[in-house]
Amino acid sequence: MKFVLIDKIEMIEPEKRIVTTKNLSMAEEYLADHFPSFPVLPGVLMLEAMTQSAAWLVRLKQNYAHSIVVLKAARNVRYSYFLKPGNTLRCEVDAVSIDETSAKFKGVGYVGDRLAVSARLELMCQNAARNGSPSPGPDQRIVEQLQRTFALIGGPAALRAANG
Amino acid sequence: MRWIWIDRILEFEPGKRALTVKNISLAEEHLHDHWDGCPIMPASLMIEGMAQTGGILVGQVCNFEHDVVLAKISKAEFDGVAGPGDQLTYEATLENLADEAASIRGMVRKNGQEFGRIDIIFSHANNSLSGVELPEGFVFTGAFQRMVDPFLEKKDG
Amino acid sequence: MAMSEQDVLEKVKETLVEALGVDDDEVAPEATLTGDLGAESIDFLDIVFRLEKAFDIKIPRGELFPDNILNNPEFVQNGKLTDAGLQQLKERMPHADFSDFEQDPDINKMAELFKVQTIVNYVITKVNG
Repeated sequence: MKFVLIDKIEMIEPEKRIVTTKNLSMAEEYLADHFPSFPVLPGVLMLEAMTQSAAWLVRLKQNYAHSIVVLKAARNVRYSYFLKPGNTLRCEVDAVSIDETSAKFKGVGYVGDRLAVSARLELMCQNAARNGSPSPGPDQRIVEQLQRTFALIGGPAALRAANG
Repeated sequence: MRWIWIDRILEFEPGKRALTVKNISLAEEHLHDHWDGCPIMPASLMIEGMAQTGGILVGQVCNFEHDVVLAKISKAEFDGVAGPGDQLTYEATLENLADEAASIRGMVRKNGQEFGRIDIIFSHANNSLSGVELPEGFVFTGAFQRMVDPFLEKKDG
Repeated sequence: MAMSEQDVLEKVKETLVEALGVDDDEVAPEATLTGDLGAESIDFLDIVFRLEKAFDIKIPRGELFPDNILNNPEFVQNGKLTDAGLQQLKERMPHADFSDFEQDPDINKMAELFKVQTIVNYVITKVNG
């Protein structure tokens, strides 16, 4: 599995809000275990989709100053519907605050017009070099990878729409 | 990628507590996306490890006859990051057991040190809280049951 | 062991912060659980679980948050509680303040009865006997 939980950025309001979608396909191998007779997106991957969506707001605001943006804490994550293959999860994430090394968000995820998940997220930002890597190489590689991903999922178009 | 986020059950006290272990290895594909040159175990997958630990604990109370699904993560907090070479343990303690739901309090340790705290509420899927129709008996396939059996046999044996 | 209202309020606030992921200063006594604090049905269960543990009390199903009122046709008509329904609810919730709700017992406004103070009142009676 590729650990990318966003297929498209539908809308960005820089520093404020992002809307993304993730299609679920039977081709995603982990579904064979979750669950054999009832394949559905694992709830924690809905949380991951919201985390990755929120991370884009951080990266754009900080201009990729930190390569590593991860979930530090999640609160009141409530699940109320399932995402089945062939359907789409739409995440809507609003920023509460985005600071130098931490950021807070509120997010919801919909399958069609059914609310599937809601959560409060706290993300933390750091650089790979902080983990003891001797050179800035990893940060640069990660940022380049992220920029390629951003382009793949319609990020530049969403930004143009926001600014235009 | 398999969807099994615990490697082994270390301790199991039926109806009370379960302790599991998860090794983090560079052999795991997703770590190469998260990220290239700086592999970090995603927090969402650590939460899943705790959910699987707690799910087995709750499911075993009814002999895995009822489905147990993730209804709410009240909180999940981590004190840093974990990566290849680290060993995580998930300790789930059963706090509440009602007809329609159960809650666990979880402690995550990295290489023996406290590393995270996760509280989860499961709903018994037959009494699904949000009126979603679910099939019968879809959660507990043989894999988790086989992990628990040795601990139950010891108790009876 | 008797507890003061202030002590109970502090502990109830901690419980709601843990259960709902809100900030401490959002949990004012007059805050409504669903409106102001965003609570949903799974949260009500979480709150009951945590209150039982925090205060070492047993909360029978439906005692703090009464159910089985809205689905009884004797108690609800045309989207409002009947006199019988209002009476039943008052009996089931001596810990709630009905002064606003009884002016217009619209079932959509029922959630406003569930305030932080409502929980505090309930816990005080359980703890202090």
